Formats: sequence, C-alpha cells, structure tokens
Amino acid sequence: MAAGADADTAADIEAHSDVWVFVEQHDGEVAKVAWELLAKGRELADQKNEDLVALVMGEDIRESEIPQEAIARGADRVLIADDPIFEPYRADPYGEQFRHLVEVRKPDIALIGGTHTGRDFAGRVAVPTHAGLTADTTELEITDERYEMRRPAFGGDALATIICPNHRPQMSTVRPGVFDTPERDESREGEIEEVDVVVSEEETMTEVLEREVGDVADITDAEVVVAGGMGLEGDFDPLWELADLLGGEVAATREAVEEGWIEPSRQVGQTGKTVRPKLYIAVGISGAIQHVEGMDDSETVIAINNDANAPIFENADYGIVEDYAEVLPELIELLGERLGDDAQEVTA
Amino acid sequence: MSDDWTIVVCVKQVPDAAEVSIDPDTGTLNRADADAVMNAPDYNAVEAALEVRDAVGGTVTALTMGPASAHEVLRAAVGMGADDAVLLTDRAFGGSDTWPTSLALARAAEELDADVVFGGEETTDSSTGQVPPGIAAHNDWAQLTYVEELEPRPEEDQLVAKRDVEGGYERVAAELPVVVAMEFGENEPRTAGLHRKIYAETDFEPVEWSAADIGVEDEVGLAVSPTQVGGMATAEPVPREQELVDDVENLADRIAEVS
Ligand SMILES: Cc1cc2nc3c(=O)[nH]c(=O)nc-3n(C[C@H](O)[C@H](O)[C@H](O)COP(=O)(O)OP(=O)(O)OC[C@H]3O[C@@H](n4cnc5c(N)ncnc54)[C@H](O)[C@@H]3O)c2cc1C
Ligand SMILES: Nc1ncnc2c1ncn2[C@@H]1O[C@H](COP(=O)(O)O)[C@@H](O)[C@H]1O
Repeated sequence: MAAGADADTAADIEAHSDVWVFVEQHDGEVAKVAWELLAKGRELADQKNEDLVALVMGEDIRESEIPQEAIARGADRVLIADDPIFEPYRADPYGEQFRHLVEVRKPDIALIGGTHTGRDFAGRVAVPTHAGLTADTTELEITDERYEMRRPAFGGDALATIICPNHRPQMSTVRPGVFDTPERDESREGEIEEVDVVVSEEETMTEVLEREVGDVADITDAEVVVAGGMGLEGDFDPLWELADLLGGEVAATREAVEEGWIEPSRQVGQTGKTVRPKLYIAVGISGAIQHVEGMDDSETVIAINNDANAPIFENADYGIVEDYAEVLPELIELLGERLGDDAQEVTA
Repeated sequence: MSDDWTIVVCVKQVPDAAEVSIDPDTGTLNRADADAVMNAPDYNAVEAALEVRDAVGGTVTALTMGPASAHEVLRAAVGMGADDAVLLTDRAFGGSDTWPTSLALARAAEELDADVVFGGEETTDSSTGQVPPGIAAHNDWAQLTYVEELEPRPEEDQLVAKRDVEGGYERVAAELPVVVAMEFGENEPRTAGLHRKIYAETDFEPVEWSAADIGVEDEVGLAVSPTQVGGMATAEPVPREQELVDDVENLADRIAEVS
C-alpha cells in the first residue's frame, strides 16, 4: 500500500459516510460562513447520496433557533453539544469533543469555516484522528469517485488540488465568502440530536479571562466595496462617504488593519475575507498578491493610486494615477450629483 | 518547574515569495531560482520568544525541520538573540504534510523539554497555519493562536495571551507547556546585533537531529501524510480592461455605469 502503516484500511474508509459542517456560533450568533458551508455541503451530500450533518457546540443551543435554522438551510441532521464548557469558545474542549464525535460517527467529509476559530481547533481534530486537513479551501468538488479540495498556493499564483485518498475524514477549513449562502426553506425537515459531552473543565488547559467582541462587519454581501490601503495614511473618512453614497461597505488591506485604522473583520485577502462585489474600488492599495486573491472575483475593479507602476492597475478595469486626496472629494461630488439625478428620474 | 522557561521557536526556510514564479508550460513552480529566506511571520515569533525570555529568564532555542541548507534560518534566529538551535534534517522527512511536520516538531519540543513553543501565523509557501496547533495536538498541550500580546505569569506556570478573534479580542490564560502562534506583524522584530551576527555566521553550529534521534522515523514523510497534492494549476489571471482614465469626470462615469 502506498500509505504507511497508519493509513485507514479500505474497510475503514468504507465505514465513513456523510458530510459534516461545523456551525460556528459565539453567544448565539452564527458565523455566516457556516451557512455558506451548509449550501456547499448540501451539494456534496446530494452527489454522494448521503446525509448533511450540522454540528453545533455551545451553551443553551437546544433552546435557540440555531438547530431549526440549520435544517432550513440544508441539514438533514443537527448534532448539538450543549454545555457551559463550550461558551466562550476554547480550542481544547472544542477539538476534543469534535474528535470524539468523528471517531464514533465516522464522517467522510468535514467542513469548517476558515475563521480564527475554525483554523484554531481544526488541527486538534485532524491530528489525533490522522485525518487529512486542507487549509483555506476555495473549491470543493467530487469528480469520478475522488473528492478534490482546491486551494490557492503561493499567495494565489497557483491553485493546488489536494486529495486525501487513504485517510478519513477528509477535512478542510474554507475561506469565508467563497460560497453563496443557501435560500432558507422553512418546510425542510430534519432530525435534532443532543450528543454526550465528553469533555470536562478539569481536563481543560485554558481559561478565557476576558472577551470583547463588537459587531462583526459583513463585507462579503456588499454589492459595492470601497477598500483602502497604506496610501490613505489613516484617512478613511472619504472612503466611508463614498461607500455610503454607493450603498456599499468599506474594506481594507491587512496593513491598514494592522495600523488600527479599521477593524479586522473588514480585511480582504488571503488571511481575511473573500469579496465578490459588482464594484470594487481600491484606493491607495498596491495590489499585493495576498490582497488581490481576496477581491479578484469582483465584477468591475477600479483603482486609485498615485504610482503608475502599482500592480493593482494590472488587476483593475479602470484606473486613475493620482493622489487619492485630489480624486476622492471630486469623485464624491460628481457622483453625488449624478446619483442624485438618477434618484430624481426614478421618482419622476 | 523552575522559574526559568525553556522556550523553543519554530522557524521555517521558504523561497522568497517575491521571486517564486510559475512555469507557464508545465504549470509547476520555479522555486529553484528563488533565494531561501526565513518565513516573514516567523520573525514575529522569534521576537516574541526573546521578549518572553527577557521577561521571565530562561533560554530560547530555534528549531527548524528542513534540508541541511536550512541552518541559515537558524543562524538568523541566533543572530537576533536565540541561545541555541536545532536542525531536524533527514531524507525521511521528505514529502511531509502538516501532520508529520508538526509531529516531528512536537517530538523535538518534548525532547528539549519546552515550556513554551512559538511559531508564526502561517508560512508564505504552504500557508496553512496548521503546524502550531498540530504541535499542540500531538503533545496534548495548550495552544494560543493569533496572539497579539503576551503576559507571562511564571509564578503560576501560565502564559496569558491577548488573541485576535472575529470582531474583537479575548484574553486567555493557558497552562504550560503551551504552543503560541503569533499574529503576523504584531511586534517589531529586532535586528541582529553586529557581534551576535558575526558569531551566528562564523562560530555557531546548530545541533542536528535525524528522524531516528527523535523516534519518528516510521511516522514521517510522504507515506504517512494524509493529504497529497493531486495537481497544481496556474491560476488564470482574471481578464481586466486595464484602462487608465485621465480625469475624475471620466472615472465617475465608469462608476455610475456599473453601480
Ligand atoms: C502570510 C501573509 C498574509 C497576508 N495576508 C494579507 C491579506 O489577507 N490581505 C492583504 O491586504 N494583505 C495581506 N498581506 C500583506 C500583503 O503582502 C501586503 O503587504 C499588503 O496587502 C499591502 O497593503 P497596502 O496595499 O495597503 O500597502 P502598500 O503595499 O504599502 O501600498 C500602498 C499604496 O498606496 C499608494 N499611495 C501612497 N500614497 C498615495 C496617495 N496619496 N494617493 C494614492 N495612492 C497612494 C502607493 O503607491 C502604494 O501602491 C499578507 C502578507 C503575508 C506575508
Ligand atoms: N518545517 C518547519 N520547521 C519549523 N517550523 C515550521 C515548519 N513548518 C511550519 N513551521 C512553523 O509553523 C508556522 C505555521 O506554518 P504553516 O502551518 O506551514 O503555515 C510557521 O510560521 C513556523 O513557525
């Protein structure tokens, strides 16, 4: 056999079935990527003719709307691990509980959102079960009997296909924003099952002393995204103005986030979110590959940068080589007039 | 446990991201021409390791798994101030994915009797971010990822971290031993002092361990790696108009057209 002594046998592999989706929630608030994964997971499960199983961990989940919501969004079965130990999130109890369920119930595929939470604990499931774990997956496909997980490699210059022939489950963390959220279907029916909690506070090696979480901005649904980078030197006000005018959201490069000019949930790119708006306006952004990877599926890209050699212009449909501080006020005024006119036409 | 902490920092040698290109005919990566450098986020890990050592007392050992040439990144870490370095090098490691890689690093950290193991957020070549949690999982140790700040509590054998989480932050206390993955860019890595740098480059020799030295010879390499690369395709560049406009009026027209 090609794989070492540790590989699962053919019979072991046969014993694995179903597609699992981890439904990440904090304080009853579900991370949107979980719904995206249920949509994709539904497709995969239908193709395999197997069940789509949603796994939710937390406190007071059974009384919440989350299990029903997961069914409405495609799950056939919802497993709930309900215990105070799961709130707030910690890697060790989450990883250990998930590992236990994987070992007992043997899913074939497991999808976890590529958030800080998902990327934090996924390895604590994959390592002890000797599962294959692909990071930052952007495409999932079942082709002639083989399941392919694709992910950008080398900062997006290449797309690697990852396969996991001899080990189960086939796990991946998936970047938020790459799949569409499903239509809700209230009439869907599914099973809800509470599972035994196998972790305890005594065995836990970490303690959350403080947790400060504000609103998590959702930039992945916006039709217009106005993004800023280091070229703005902190001056994001005109971006908010332009975004308001166009009914869009403000986003940023990682560098701008690190400067503290804007919150991390608005970061676009390899280690941030993937956005696919109709219009992406990049202001004072150089166009590093790690950034472009997160916005390259935008329909139309406009770049404002005072350096004609900035790579962003190669990734843009229209560009202007000028100081943003000159461009933005004039642009806001012109668009204000034009969009104002349109509004009048509509009401007339 | 003594008051002094034994700190290990994992650094990886990667091809300089700016120099890697794709062969348009074969679709494979031309890594050979690229200079080998230390993974950029690992500088943050080394800096954090040195800061904790300076606060608590103890030693920092740089650790890498790679080819013999990877001693370069260990020298870079020693130049910055690491006390010692270990190179895990063996043909048996070839083709390892994150599962065996983190196993080898985990066993070495155990062998070194580590209290804290540092790593970077992710590498620029494999960019999985899975290795530090993998080390923690193999050893069943605590872990702290996406760390922005650290507060060592040696009297309690604890390390407290401020972690970046979606929409905010949290402060988490972890029992030692613990694996820490520093968030990229969260500190200012020090530059190597001249004398230290000369020492690192001329006199210093890292310790070398084989797979057998850490007892993992049957558990590493391609054969035990659960994931395999089934193909590599050049990402098709998205076709763009790439049209420059010369005044803002023109730009406003374009925006009005599509929004
Ligand atoms: C592991 C890893 C992961 C990463 N993940 C991400 C990620 O997810 N997202 C991300 O964005 N980056 C990411 N990066 C960082 C990325 O490599 C770049 O460093 C970053 O995107 C650059 O940000 P920037 O364009 O804002 O800054 P810069 O590269 O500094 O560009 C600033 C631009 O502003 C222009 N400018 C300056 N003044 C003006 C002016 N007055 N008017 C107009 N234009 C002006 C300049 O010409 C320049 O092109 C990652 C890096 C690594 C190593
Ligand atoms: N071969 C290696 N040797 C030493 N450290 C490594 C190695 N691979 C990964 N790491 C560490 O794990 C971190 C995350 O890497 P990765 O999981 O490959 O993205 C890196 O920043 C390093 O600190």
